[in-house]
Amino acid sequence: MSLNKEYINVLAKDLMFELSEDEVNDIIDEFDVLSQQLELLQSIDTSGVLEMIYPFEEETTFLREDEVVNVISQKDAISNAFKVKSGHILVPKVVK
Amino acid sequence: MAYKVVIGIEIHCELKTKTKMFSSAPLSFAQTPNSCVNEVDLAHPGTLPCVNKNAIKYAIMACSAFNLEIDTLVKFDRKNYFYTDLPKGYQITQQFHPIGRNGFIDINVDGNSKRINIERLHMEEDTAKQFHFNDETLIDYNRAGTPLVEIVSDPDMTSGVEAVAYISKIQEILLYLGVSDVKMEQGSMRCDINISLMKQDAEKLGTKVEIKNLNSLSNVLKAVEFEISRQSDMLDNAELIVQETRRFDETTKSTVSMRKKEGNVDYKYFPEPNIFPIRLPLDWVNEIVNNLPELPDARRVRYHDVYALEEYDANVLVSNKLLADFYELVMQDCDDGKICANWIISELIAQLSKTNQSIATMKCDSKNFANLINMITKKEISGKQAKQIFAQVVDGENCIELVKSSGMKQISDEGAILQIVIDVLNDNPQSIEDFKNGKDRAIGFLVGQVMKRSKGQANPSMANQLVSAQIKNY
Amino acid sequence: MGENVMLNEEIVLKRISDAYNFAKNVQEELNAMVTFVDYNDQLENMNMHKSGKMFGVPIVLKDNVNTKGIKTTASSKMLENYVPIYDATIVTKLKDAGAIIIGKSSMDELAMGGTNLTAATGSVKNPYDTNRMSGGSSGGSASLVGKGVVSMAIGSDTGDSIRKPAAFCGCVGLKPTYGRISRYGIIPYSSSLDHVGCFTSNVKDAAIALEVLAGRDDLDMTSSYEPVDNYSEFLSGDIKGKKIAILKNVTDNISNVDVLKCFNESIEKLKQQGAIVEEVILNEKLMLAILPTYYLIANCEATANHANLNGICYGNQVESQTSEQIMIKSRTNGFGPLIRKRFVIGSYGLFVENQEKLFKQAQKVRRLIVEEYDKVLKDFDFVCAPASASIAPLLDDKHLDQLSDEYLVAENHMIISNFTGYPSISVPMGFVDKMPVGINFTAHKFDEGNLLNLAYTHELCNDFKAMKAGN
Repeated sequence: MSLNKEYINVLAKDLMFELSEDEVNDIIDEFDVLSQQLELLQSIDTSGVLEMIYPFEEETTFLREDEVVNVISQKDAISNAFKVKSGHILVPKVVK
Repeated sequence: MAYKVVIGIEIHCELKTKTKMFSSAPLSFAQTPNSCVNEVDLAHPGTLPCVNKNAIKYAIMACSAFNLEIDTLVKFDRKNYFYTDLPKGYQITQQFHPIGRNGFIDINVDGNSKRINIERLHMEEDTAKQFHFNDETLIDYNRAGTPLVEIVSDPDMTSGVEAVAYISKIQEILLYLGVSDVKMEQGSMRCDINISLMKQDAEKLGTKVEIKNLNSLSNVLKAVEFEISRQSDMLDNAELIVQETRRFDETTKSTVSMRKKEGNVDYKYFPEPNIFPIRLPLDWVNEIVNNLPELPDARRVRYHDVYALEEYDANVLVSNKLLADFYELVMQDCDDGKICANWIISELIAQLSKTNQSIATMKCDSKNFANLINMITKKEISGKQAKQIFAQVVDGENCIELVKSSGMKQISDEGAILQIVIDVLNDNPQSIEDFKNGKDRAIGFLVGQVMKRSKGQANPSMANQLVSAQIKNY
Repeated sequence: MGENVMLNEEIVLKRISDAYNFAKNVQEELNAMVTFVDYNDQLENMNMHKSGKMFGVPIVLKDNVNTKGIKTTASSKMLENYVPIYDATIVTKLKDAGAIIIGKSSMDELAMGGTNLTAATGSVKNPYDTNRMSGGSSGGSASLVGKGVVSMAIGSDTGDSIRKPAAFCGCVGLKPTYGRISRYGIIPYSSSLDHVGCFTSNVKDAAIALEVLAGRDDLDMTSSYEPVDNYSEFLSGDIKGKKIAILKNVTDNISNVDVLKCFNESIEKLKQQGAIVEEVILNEKLMLAILPTYYLIANCEATANHANLNGICYGNQVESQTSEQIMIKSRTNGFGPLIRKRFVIGSYGLFVENQEKLFKQAQKVRRLIVEEYDKVLKDFDFVCAPASASIAPLLDDKHLDQLSDEYLVAENHMIISNFTGYPSISVPMGFVDKMPVGINFTAHKFDEGNLLNLAYTHELCNDFKAMKAGN
């Protein structure tokens, strides 16, 4: 496995942030250690093993009743927003 | 050159639950912005999803109506992407384990039935609504988290007409199930149409184009037909069709490119760790499946069997559920299904559209309407008289009172009419003479006199019968 | 805690204001608090909760616990002005039990670290040596309880984030079974590994705190229906015949002889109490894979868990011309470099072309590790090992060999309980170089009662106060 600058920037862009030149270099430097750790992971034979997604794999049956329990005020809903306009959250025009 | 057309359709429907898919905030349509939400819908830090029981129930009902195999172990996954209308930065959906698989519905086109296979039905949640202006966008989270089902067909359709038949069938069934409003204009039902063309003898499917922004069935038809001719022309000219998403433009009645597909977007799907797999109790599922509301096809058959309606009449009623429901209410107090259907289909629809009303808003209740139909079938009033008061009846006025106050009650008592007929005959010897001399018109004159003397209330056909019979006695 | 019947209001008020002032006084020294909470509002209804198990007890919450109307930052610049609009379920439970929140404590940014060096408000200092780390990610809570400022503080534990700082700061750190305490309202790191737990100065308080915190919450679909025990009643000091497995993989890889000496003394005392102790060895290859397995699962889940932090609906927004640029700039500016690095790895692990060999491989290895662990635990009541191979590192420690077996196994074995979801507790076992060191016990799922009794028994035969005085 290898991580080059270009790929690292693709990964960052996919998660909507930027990395400085130094940060990219750090990642490349540290990737040496990480990739050796990942090799330890990959050296394990997992054929026929299922992914473990939850700590406990008992199924549940609980479903929420369809009743209104918790609704907050418009004031609370937009209280943490940077900009608001007539009860909406305001952002620069979004390109579809 | 004529090409083989291949159409597959993805339909998103908002479910008509009381609360959101994963939160206990209410659903809303056109409410005050950001007033039907809680912290979960806004994806505030630390919030967790909690699955709505009724949303699952509605999905099961839909699966059952579309003949899908139901997976009773419900699982959810995350679809990751960033967009301003997606508060969590991922959508909870069912990528790997849809609740329904491998079903079908039968559509009817030009009197022929055709089976359209449905690949899957899965549950997910809606995004926030954005209002775009010149240089700003306003976000309303009321819609965020509204339960959705997505229904994905196989590419089994070959024309715009079939596409429309498929969508309207899905629409009709969901409406009869009572699980969705299925209003395309309001966005509670949204259709994406995938369409590709191929040479008749080709084995490989052509390049797929996706059409969005279809807010009515008639636009679906126009868009598909436009797209078929656009792609045909391109293929005729040996042009390359690119994989893209197009939207239907209402003003030009054509499809325009929205975006080209630059490879597939990687949504990095993975199972939702905050929702353990949910095992649906089998008896609960069976209870839902066994107690489905009557579906439209079954209702058509019943209208034929019980009310002796012709296919056309049954279709007109069933395809408008409110109308059909009203018809059934009226029929609780009525005997003649056929006459009742006629009055609803021809008179009521016309009257409502003339006055800009709907079944839902009209003031006339079913009992009043039934009384009117009964007076017609019992010949207490004539059809002509009924039409005279029809507008008032639809406006909610009591039809019995109306008939009484306008003195238009028809006399159908044979003895009473006979007395008038005898009087009229006695008073008009000349007419009897004319009749005997072969002037049949005399009958008409005499019936007219009977009607006049009864102030128009005599049943005309009875008057006619009695005059013809009695005159022979002179 | 727990002696509320004797308390009158005056004593309670003094206790709260003392704790608050103590916290303020040590703030410069420890830098453990992010926000001091004006507790006067809470005092108004205090008498309503007079019968509560934590009546009048001043407490601290890790700053990833949402508190309505009180700034909650998760020690991230991204949320430096975020004021929650709802309470976490445990906040309601604690208030109902009569506890009084006096502050929100520092943590590694978004709980994504083990040093508490990455908090937006700077590093947290160890109460025993301010040149040393508190450990993380729940460092502020550990430091404050270790210092004796409060007798209980809330933490969260994704990969030993309670138990490790507890060991470093000389306090009890309990991570109960997954699902035992509701996660609703806790700003997450990794949903399938996150646990809520607590720091206390003794085991009895941990038992009382768990009684208050535990229980099914319909807002958290992963929370358990398992009945909540009366944990205090389990504290008998009797562990006769209980079987304890020592993880030899861990002890074999610890080079610090003083740590081992403390550990062996602890074990001897437990044997004297009638415990049956045996050494066990888990598959070494799997043990070496604990950290990378954890690293992938946690960071892959975290990339999605923190995708909501985009500056649109709440949080720190950097103004820009387009909405997309707002998101990019807000996230670039809002997350520290370490977080963004971990996100890059998470994104890498989830990309379709890598998911099978990275994220899914990690989830499969998680299963193998859990199965291996279950095999051992089957014949025992508890598993035991030193909580750390060493004392709390210096703040500028850069000598860590991240590929050594000591680091990969001995320093990270407690992560196994995040994989399994089993209850796990760290308690002080002595001092090395004048710094506290801890011992870690783990039990079967939902067996918190017996786990607490083991820790309690250990506490009875290791007088921590005396050790501290002799230190």
